[in-house]
Amino acid sequence: MSDLHLILAVGAVTFATRIAFLLRPRPIPGGLVGRFLDVFPLALFVAIAAQGLLAPRGTPEVTPALAAAVGGIVGGILFRRNLWGVLAVGAVSFYVARALFT
Amino acid sequence: MSNSPSFRKGIRDGLIMVIPVAAFALAYGVLAVDAGLSPALTIFSSLVIVSGAAQFTMIGLLAAGPVPVLVAASGLGLRHLPMSAKLADMIGPQPLGTRLRLAWVLVDETFGLAVRAAYTGVADIVAYKSAADLILYSFWMAGTTVGALFGGSIDPETVGIAVLFPLLFLGLAAPMVHKRRDWIVAGAAVVATLVATLVLPPAWQITGAATVAALVGVGFHE
Repeated sequence: MSDLHLILAVGAVTFATRIAFLLRPRPIPGGLVGRFLDVFPLALFVAIAAQGLLAPRGTPEVTPALAAAVGGIVGGILFRRNLWGVLAVGAVSFYVARALFT
Repeated sequence: MSNSPSFRKGIRDGLIMVIPVAAFALAYGVLAVDAGLSPALTIFSSLVIVSGAAQFTMIGLLAAGPVPVLVAASGLGLRHLPMSAKLADMIGPQPLGTRLRLAWVLVDETFGLAVRAAYTGVADIVAYKSAADLILYSFWMAGTTVGALFGGSIDPETVGIAVLFPLLFLGLAAPMVHKRRDWIVAGAAVVATLVATLVLPPAWQITGAATVAALVGVGFHE
């Protein structure tokens, strides 16, 4: 398989998972499935953040990114709906920790 | 659609993704060429896949052959299934072309912005997400192109830009945490992710951790 074919295949696999429920939209059922979909976005976003900040090189470790996590949580509490505020507090915490400890 | 307040808000909110997305794309462009893809194929891959996780995995496993790459891409793609179902519920009935377009750029970042917009009362989620998609796709392509063509001398890691990407998701999660159940789901996601990094292959960690944490939320009654 050439690189071009591989890229097309990965694109097809990825798009298939994206279009799955959009191709024939139906109302989300209630009960367990509805409750799962209700909390899945939050679980997904926290998992992405946790992996990047607490295990930036693949396994859990203490790095300046931990300060970004703490700063981001504080920013999230202070600026709940202001995304820029969360980014700013987290980024400043990261750069300060990196300057002090590395 | 481009004149609607929701579209303009999508553009404004989408600008927050510019630095992390462009930096991520730049790193991808550099590493893909370094892994042996031509600059043209590197740019083409961003055009058709539009998934940082799948693309980084692809170049990481390039030497191992197509089967491991496609298995990993499938694992990474599983998290799109509940995202797709949630987005379908948020946008309601739409023409096929609109659904195909929104699915093409159904990525974590713009999905996150769209969910957040729905939580905060944005009227037209289709227009909002279309605008955010436009910003993301433009900078994803621009970053990849610069990285593939001129990236040898650039290292996003040294300036610490990589940390902005997970922070963006922390910011997206913040307005969703209201009830005790939300705090429990968030805590479960942290614990599950840390465990997943120790026991699961990278391609399955996020999907596995998010699924476990969401199931914890399902089992929690208030």
